[in-house]
Amino acid sequence: MPGVRRSLDAVDEEDLVRRTAAGDRRAFDELYRRTSPWLAVRLRRRCADDDVVADVLQETYLAVWRAAGGFAGSAASGSALGWLWTIAANRLVDAFRRRARQAQVPPVPLAETVAPAAEDEVMAGRVGQELEQALLVLPPELRQVLRAMVLDGLSVRETSLLLSVPEGTVKSRARRARIALREALS
Amino acid sequence: MTTHPNLAVITRYAAGGSGLDDATVWSVEVHLEGCPECRAHLAGSTTDDTRALLDRVAAGLDGGIAAGPLPVGRRQPWSAVHRRWLAWALLPWLTMTVAVLGCAFLLEALRPDQPSLLLLLAPVAPLPGVAVAWSRRADPAWELIAGTPAAGITMLLRRTAAVLAVVIPALALAGAGSGVSLALMLLPSLAFTAASIALGAVVGVRRAAAGVGVLWLLAVVLPSVVIEKLPVILEPGSVPVWALAIVALAAFAASRADGYRRLSSHR
Amino acid sequence: MMRTVSAAETAPTTHPWVVHTEGLRVRAGRHLAVDGLDLALGTGVHGLLGPNGAGKTTLMRALATVVKPAGGRLTLLGEPVDGRSDLRRVRRGLGYLPQQFGFYPRFTVREFIEYMAWLKEMPKTVVPGAVQRAIDRVGLTAKANARMKTLSGGMLRRAGIAQAIVNDPEVLLLDEPTVGLDPEQRLDFREMLRDLGVDSCVLVSTHLVEDVVAACTDVVMINEGRLVYQGTPDDLITQGGQGDAGDSPAERGYSALLRRHRAGTGR
Repeated sequence: MPGVRRSLDAVDEEDLVRRTAAGDRRAFDELYRRTSPWLAVRLRRRCADDDVVADVLQETYLAVWRAAGGFAGSAASGSALGWLWTIAANRLVDAFRRRARQAQVPPVPLAETVAPAAEDEVMAGRVGQELEQALLVLPPELRQVLRAMVLDGLSVRETSLLLSVPEGTVKSRARRARIALREALS
Repeated sequence: MTTHPNLAVITRYAAGGSGLDDATVWSVEVHLEGCPECRAHLAGSTTDDTRALLDRVAAGLDGGIAAGPLPVGRRQPWSAVHRRWLAWALLPWLTMTVAVLGCAFLLEALRPDQPSLLLLLAPVAPLPGVAVAWSRRADPAWELIAGTPAAGITMLLRRTAAVLAVVIPALALAGAGSGVSLALMLLPSLAFTAASIALGAVVGVRRAAAGVGVLWLLAVVLPSVVIEKLPVILEPGSVPVWALAIVALAAFAASRADGYRRLSSHR
Repeated sequence: MMRTVSAAETAPTTHPWVVHTEGLRVRAGRHLAVDGLDLALGTGVHGLLGPNGAGKTTLMRALATVVKPAGGRLTLLGEPVDGRSDLRRVRRGLGYLPQQFGFYPRFTVREFIEYMAWLKEMPKTVVPGAVQRAIDRVGLTAKANARMKTLSGGMLRRAGIAQAIVNDPEVLLLDEPTVGLDPEQRLDFREMLRDLGVDSCVLVSTHLVEDVVAACTDVVMINEGRLVYQGTPDDLITQGGQGDAGDSPAERGYSALLRRHRAGTGR
């Protein structure tokens, strides 16, 4: 690279992906530096087995390296992080599927039933006071299904693999969650 | 974007475990996906074992990248890739069509008193291309394509449009060169294309195109050349009839649109 | 980012079987290749066995909605498949690898799978990631950017399998997928089959009885277009005895069943 090493600080993640597509290893490393902590923490909250998380992270970023061209080329690219999470979620489901077959299902962290502490009430970043109260009222297994389907964007089949629960159960829990939320919010 | 969570919340999120209740975790995760600054805070507050994990993965990545293929550049849109194949498959037939039209043009220039061969051949000019574009034998991947959701009338129309994109300008050029009415050159060929597609819903497009083409050649072209007179249906006054035929055939094809879902002929 | 979950997605499943045929009749040319077949398949890997000419390929084609059944009832993913049904929705959940797998030689592996993904009407944003995932799952990562015409037979088959799984189908139909694979590749393929069978319905047609016994949860045997036997591989083994032809217990069971079926139909 001639002369001046341009700083990548001002480049946003979508551009980093585009540069990766062009074969820019520095841009890829910067993308890794910026996004892998977020991805690792999020994955660890869905799978308590660190080996699985490490494999998923590695496969995800290798896929990003190889398929970045596809993301860069599509017109309605959307958010690079959304794309990253979709790849990671798919690989996580694949890992669970492989291990389900060998009957070594990786543990999922237990659903949290912690009541909010007083000081949490004033913390910023809340989606909406009512929605949150409604969420907390739900039983943990319904919350898990909701998180997998709504927040993580998984389908019924994928959710059933992730939570090691039959598809019919996933569907009925999702239906119950919808009814409960509607009641709580009305 | 939701308001930023403060640093303590982010640190507790990074630590994992049950330090935060589900609802807060949910809002933090939604927020983080859209906020680079908070992600940077998160990167700064990761626990030691998360950092160790990330280092492990980074080392693995180095190996994987060195071993594998380089990333591919920006992709072309799929339609461009497909068009490339279609062009290769159709090239011989379209060349033949254009060559035949060229010969007809020359013959007309040499023998101006004969009925216009161009006019007689124009209706069947797109038919070889249409038959090939929608034929099992010409498309090596037909069995794969036949089972996909996109197989159907839109695909047929797209390929037909590719054929017409070559044939219609050729016809227009030849017609302009020999002074024949443009509408009389182009409308019959469109009508015959529509007829092949419409009949294709019943007997398969390849058979329909071949049948219509042969019928026209035997029943109209041959007698006209022998008698040395243009048929009534190619007189200038028949233009509205052709236009009506196109509309009617197109409507028929549209009404049977679901019949095109299976690429093999109706059997 | 949060996504909306539609009510249709979480509605309870009303169909007990993923693939269900009742008295299915399918023609191949003039000959009635599938003649009154009753089949019910659920999640798992089902091996389809039978002698040449038993109607295996025709059955696969009918299940892939490439060929229209001549009679009987066919229900895929709870939707009836007949002349009037909306095939697009069913086809989105299907994956099919035909026996004669045609391809466009000048396409690269990635372009080919992307084209198939586009034909399967997958949302554009999802396609690049899904294609890479399919490539990785079949083990073609190193050859992803090579042209199809440069691939060996085994790799070509793998590319074919990749296009079949790119849309994560609920019903996967593989017609003789192990042709041209060396023994090591066949082992990898069996691993992949077992993986796929965890949450989808896979029907694998094959000549090799060992493939079936090793990877399948269920064996379906057909002869002359009719169902001869359906059961687990262990049950297949118990059907055979020392007197039957074959080098392995499964092969003996297979020939015993075939013999009995032929005797039963007076052939």
